[in-house]
Amino acid sequence: MKIAVYFCNCGTNVSERIDLRRLTAELAGTPDLAYIKPVDFLCAEDGKHFLQQDLIAERPDRVVIAACSPREYEKAFMQVLMKSGMNPYFLQMVNIREHVAWVTPDPEQATAKAATMIRGALARVALHQPLEVREIEANPAVLVIGGGPAGLQAALTLAEAGRKVVLVEKSPVLGGLPVRYEELFPNLECAPCMLEPLLGELVNGNQAENVEILTLAQVAGITGYLGNFTVQVQQAPRYVDSAACIGCGLCIPPCPVTTGNEFNYGLNQRNAIAMPFPGAMPNVPFLDSSACLRWKGEDCQLCRDACPIEGTIQFEDRPKLIERNVGAIIIAIGSALYDCKNLPGLQYGELEDVYTSLEFERLLASNGPTGGAVVTKAGQPPESVAIVHCAGSLDSKHKPYCSGICCQYAFKFNHLLESKLPGTKVHHFYRELVMPGKEEFALHEHVAHSPGTTLTRYSEIASVQVSEQDGKKLVACVDAAGQKQAATADMVVLCPAVVPAADTAALTGLLGLTRDKFGFLQELHGRLHSTSSKIKGIYLAGACQAPMDVQKAISQAMAAVGCVLSELVQGKRLQVEPITASVDEQKCSGCKICATVCPYHAISHPSGGPSEVNALLCHGCGTCVAGCPTGAIRGNHFSNEQILAELKAVLQ
Amino acid sequence: MTPFEPKIVGFLCNWCSYAGADKAGVAQTPYPPNVRIIRVMCSGRVDPQFVLQALQDGADGVLILACHAGDCHYDEGNYRATQRHRMLLRLLRQFGVEEERCRFDYVSAGEGDKFVQVVTDFVETIKTCGPFHRLPGEAAASGAAAQDCAPE
Repeated sequence: MKIAVYFCNCGTNVSERIDLRRLTAELAGTPDLAYIKPVDFLCAEDGKHFLQQDLIAERPDRVVIAACSPREYEKAFMQVLMKSGMNPYFLQMVNIREHVAWVTPDPEQATAKAATMIRGALARVALHQPLEVREIEANPAVLVIGGGPAGLQAALTLAEAGRKVVLVEKSPVLGGLPVRYEELFPNLECAPCMLEPLLGELVNGNQAENVEILTLAQVAGITGYLGNFTVQVQQAPRYVDSAACIGCGLCIPPCPVTTGNEFNYGLNQRNAIAMPFPGAMPNVPFLDSSACLRWKGEDCQLCRDACPIEGTIQFEDRPKLIERNVGAIIIAIGSALYDCKNLPGLQYGELEDVYTSLEFERLLASNGPTGGAVVTKAGQPPESVAIVHCAGSLDSKHKPYCSGICCQYAFKFNHLLESKLPGTKVHHFYRELVMPGKEEFALHEHVAHSPGTTLTRYSEIASVQVSEQDGKKLVACVDAAGQKQAATADMVVLCPAVVPAADTAALTGLLGLTRDKFGFLQELHGRLHSTSSKIKGIYLAGACQAPMDVQKAISQAMAAVGCVLSELVQGKRLQVEPITASVDEQKCSGCKICATVCPYHAISHPSGGPSEVNALLCHGCGTCVAGCPTGAIRGNHFSNEQILAELKAVLQ
Repeated sequence: MTPFEPKIVGFLCNWCSYAGADKAGVAQTPYPPNVRIIRVMCSGRVDPQFVLQALQDGADGVLILACHAGDCHYDEGNYRATQRHRMLLRLLRQFGVEEERCRFDYVSAGEGDKFVQVVTDFVETIKTCGPFHRLPGEAAASGAAAQDCAPE
């Protein structure tokens, strides 16, 4: 074997500390070493040109470049090898600048250290294998899970880029939580009006043919990897044919059954066949078989009789298992609220007129249970409302983090109360006020100086006690200065911590994803890759990943779409990096230790036999290689033989 | 007699510790030349057998440097590495090898100074320990080696 060594002087950076003549003498006789050639600046265009021409002329089998850190120019020199007709992985760099010349003042010691390191590289590079970047076919279609603002925006943007999208939403209605709010902070923009164009475009507009919307649907199974996922979607029957229905709603009034309306958090009743709320999209009622008389043995068909279009209401509709192939998945399943029953002092669920923020949003909404009238259970407009912020947030006994959105909607509530019911007193009880950003403080500024508003900073949520007194609520707390404070109110609104949606755990298990310590879906990297999950081809958008407002959720969705469009380019095959793990089936005992240590679920045991590494999912970290008890897994380009050869040589 | 200059192998993860060593280089902070750095993509790649082999092949000490907890480029490789290191120390104890000869530490990409401090300190520690005596051929090597280091 003929190994060439190129020694970069790096001007005088290297040459003034490392004596090339002595180095050459010290390395003389090293097996396979053909020559050592000095170059002044190997990274410069001249240097790279020289290297390319010299490699073509000398035709070495392997190349060692003693220069700067491989983190700087390894990729560039690999390109040069490729241009000269060599396999780019036949290169090993030796970091004689950062790790020797710059940190070893004594030239004798520096030269000796450089010689040792080059010896290691020579031993290692002799064992380098010719590795190739492989290419595989990929499906450009995308699955979006969740039909809230993030999911809708992702689906629409992908469709506009010409992608086929499957949008899966578990409820019968699109728009997520914000579509149920009358106004959004900070500008009091009408939420349904803001989302309506998005929804319209997806459901009936120009992009409708690119987007398959599956409501009442949940992902039941996923196999595959980036570019080639197979997804099973379980869709519950709607019993109303979405394609035939004209959305007239004539089927609803004849229904003799009433039941609690979950879309208004049980604050009013709906029929067994119902629209979630006026204006819901898609504009198609759903039939709730758990409430309908037909499923209780009665032969009621009043809804079908009222329907003007024959065949639209289909009692014989059945659950469907739908299979789709996609190349990437965006998860946008949103978040939920902390259960305030964990904060017994607040009396949620015990006293009347104690509401969560979501319930209060529906009271404010013109399509809500009261038509937008803010009234107590007794039907009276409240003279005073207490708003308890940070209910479960910023508290180590509950959720230690700030939920980020509550201050703003609390001041939005304040503002809306003032305009709907002028003169209403609003008492805020808060642990912290957090409103960073260029617009976020605006609502606070608006109400904080209002004569009807009081602000009390409590010491901890456990000190906040709600009780009934003379037909009103008494909200008492210990304030930040240790003093007892109290206010009476007709209505109490709680701002619970934002927590992961109920389905997060199940979906995590299904996809092999991980959750952070708070239970939210975990990003690949919190700063650099906040919309990528740890599994290639699965991306995160919106509040499934952390508490966030609509603006951030939409931005995250667009970012996730950007990842999909750049990593899964339509019409382009996927490149598979060769620095991955591979399994010697003969040596593998099938113990599966590798699969338990792999952070990327890249290792499977399809036939129950030897391990199989999916090179597309593998990131090449090598932790499975180190964990394998039989030495059956090889870390390409970082194999045991290569590392041990380097080790032996540097210890000579 | 020339003073004892220990041979030390350092397994450094590509993303944090190797970059930290680069940082020390860019800052031109001198440190003892005893460490031979072997780059691995992740500290999780460091097979405990590499450490044993290093000691067998002539190393007097082995350093494993990783990203800080929570910073691993591969999310949890450094966590695996700490687990394996703990296990390895128990094994070394059974062989009568001083635990000090294999150190695990965290060096981030920005911590050039910490890298210098860890290396300098480790070289001192191994100098105190003295040369690592290997079997076979060296009488009562393991027992003698175990007594070389002062107990902590």
